[in-house]
Amino acid sequence: MKKVFIIARWEYVERVKSKMFLISLLVMPIIMVSMGILPGLLADQEEEMTKVIGVVDPRGSLANLFAERMQRGYTRSSGEPLYVVRPLAAGRDGDLERVKKKADEMVMDNQIDGYCILGMPEMNDVEYRSKNVGDYRIPIRIEETVRNILAEQRLVSLGLDPILLDELRSPVNVRSLKLSRMGEEEEAGFLHVFFSAYVFLMMLFFMILSSGQLLVRSVIEEKMNRIVEVLVSSCSPTQLMTGKILGLSGLGFTQMIVWGLIGFAISSVVGVTLLRPEHMLLLVLYFVLGYLLYAAIFIGVGSPVTTEQEAQHVTSYLVIVLTVPLVLTVPALQNPDAAWISILTYIPLLTPTMMGLRLSIDTPPLWEILLTVAVMLISIYVAMIAAGRIFRIAILATGKRAKLSEMVAWARLRE
Amino acid sequence: MLKADHLRKAFTSVVAVDDVSFEVKRGEIFGLLGPNGAGKTTTIRMILNIVRPDGGLITYNGLPFSDEFRKVIGYLPEERGLYRKSKLVDAILYLAELRGMERSAARAEAYKWLGRFNLLDSVNRKVEELSKGNQQKVQFIVAVIHNPTLVILDEPFSGLDPVNQILLKDILLELKEQGRAIIFSTHQMDQAERLSDSLCLINRGRVVLEGSVAEVKRRHGKNSVRLEFSGDGSFIPSIRGVAHVLMYRNAAEVELANGLSSRQFLEQLLERIELRKFEILEPSLQSIFMQVVGNGSKNQHGGAG
Repeated sequence: MKKVFIIARWEYVERVKSKMFLISLLVMPIIMVSMGILPGLLADQEEEMTKVIGVVDPRGSLANLFAERMQRGYTRSSGEPLYVVRPLAAGRDGDLERVKKKADEMVMDNQIDGYCILGMPEMNDVEYRSKNVGDYRIPIRIEETVRNILAEQRLVSLGLDPILLDELRSPVNVRSLKLSRMGEEEEAGFLHVFFSAYVFLMMLFFMILSSGQLLVRSVIEEKMNRIVEVLVSSCSPTQLMTGKILGLSGLGFTQMIVWGLIGFAISSVVGVTLLRPEHMLLLVLYFVLGYLLYAAIFIGVGSPVTTEQEAQHVTSYLVIVLTVPLVLTVPALQNPDAAWISILTYIPLLTPTMMGLRLSIDTPPLWEILLTVAVMLISIYVAMIAAGRIFRIAILATGKRAKLSEMVAWARLRE
Repeated sequence: MLKADHLRKAFTSVVAVDDVSFEVKRGEIFGLLGPNGAGKTTTIRMILNIVRPDGGLITYNGLPFSDEFRKVIGYLPEERGLYRKSKLVDAILYLAELRGMERSAARAEAYKWLGRFNLLDSVNRKVEELSKGNQQKVQFIVAVIHNPTLVILDEPFSGLDPVNQILLKDILLELKEQGRAIIFSTHQMDQAERLSDSLCLINRGRVVLEGSVAEVKRRHGKNSVRLEFSGDGSFIPSIRGVAHVLMYRNAAEVELANGLSSRQFLEQLLERIELRKFEILEPSLQSIFMQVVGNGSKNQHGGAG
């Protein structure tokens, strides 16, 4: 036991001290946060340029109103209009093509940013032509403006006051409340649940991945420089493996705690409560179980590997398995009672993530929790035994890579 | 101290070690010799309990391998390497602790050895910043820091400059004086000849020579003598028991048959001529090695056919 501790401490301390670890500790949250926030921030920035938009109105009834509404309706905070709308020669039926051709040239010459053709062929059809259609706000605003104008005209034609329109369009607020088995209510929308489920899955994903790779890499290093021979003449392979798993999980959990604290700080600043305490405990439980299972798999699959490249190859397969639950998040949230979700929950490799997903939707019944934990414990036991047997032989093997059949044979080999 | 009895280890395609037996005593330097791929490393791994033998038995002071034994062996593997990114002293302390040393005791010993190898300036440097030779010294320290009673060194001299080879040789002799048993493997025969008390020569997984160095030489020496003399030496070929003579004007190289000892031969010579020089030509291990390994492969070839 003492040797296991010595190995665990070594693996932990040597890596905590490394620059790589410090960097990953700080860089990961920055990347995560910026991935979540930056695009929104950038997209929500005020448009800096006033855009010139042409309008062609073959029916001749809307162009001026449209121009006025676009210019007055959308302004920068300084009051300047975002759009300057220039009515272009309204082509009569026959020469619309000619007008379009001329307007297209103006777009290409950058005289105007784009132009729209109103009411062709039906009153409520609009065509917007521009070199850059990436600014999603323009079509939305054109649509809004035209819709309002048409609605007003319709109201007037019915002899009603156009002011009614505002009343008709007043928003409806839907508040979604999540009822849990405990009978409590909790305010939560799709985004909230999605976010907490996603955070859990991402954390599990990154932790398993990063420490799994560390595990494989540390085995490879010792294999390549043959320290492993000195090590296994000092302690048993099982002690070595256990020590490594413990030390590197300590590292992973350090990372998680730091990230968790950062996440907690951010969420409390933003004012979202992510999880209830009993869910938190269950999540941590599945987290640990999942981590141990994957650690065993990484050891079993990674220890026969002899070079860094092969290690990357091997870990990339495991990454694919790990991403499955991430992909399933949205369908699972929309349809949490589907049979396939319960079935996937009992595949050991997916259990922790699937349960994490389900926990953020609703607390599963107790028997399911007990059953999944039992499934996990059994698979961890089996995986650890198999990994230990492979490890014992594989750490001394160098040169050519072991075939799968050989690894299976090793895993079956007893003392 | 250490006894190996009829060791055997087969891998999928080859028998790496076949019926190897030897004994290493306390206070003895034991040379494990053999050409590349002879089975030296596999034998060492079996002694260290890294690889389990398919057959045979290894005992330490009459007992089979146990955890206790891990504390009293030291090992320098053939391929060198240490944790490259770690500090020198940290790596040493880690491996010493794994051998069962207390951290404080390990630290004191580490500094003692680092001083001996002139590495005190580098204590806090990273292993990768050290030269290859210095890394090897650090690994040697790892092998002996815990005062093992059995030290196993796989090619300890390769990669060291002459000055450090001498330093290492002195340390090995010291360890021997302290009553430790040292096994070292090499294919440099001159080194083995100068250092070892006993040896075991393995070829193709089998023991081809075993015993003390003197004994091996006696058994395999051709019993040759070189002499320089004045007077008429023409009678020499006719002495009974002389197998072969190379005559020069005032010198001769004589190969004696088994019936005639060099002492008897010398007595007969002294009666007839005046000797200026009488030298018993000892076969070098190198030549025995070549002879035995060469014959061994020929024999095996013949046996198969």
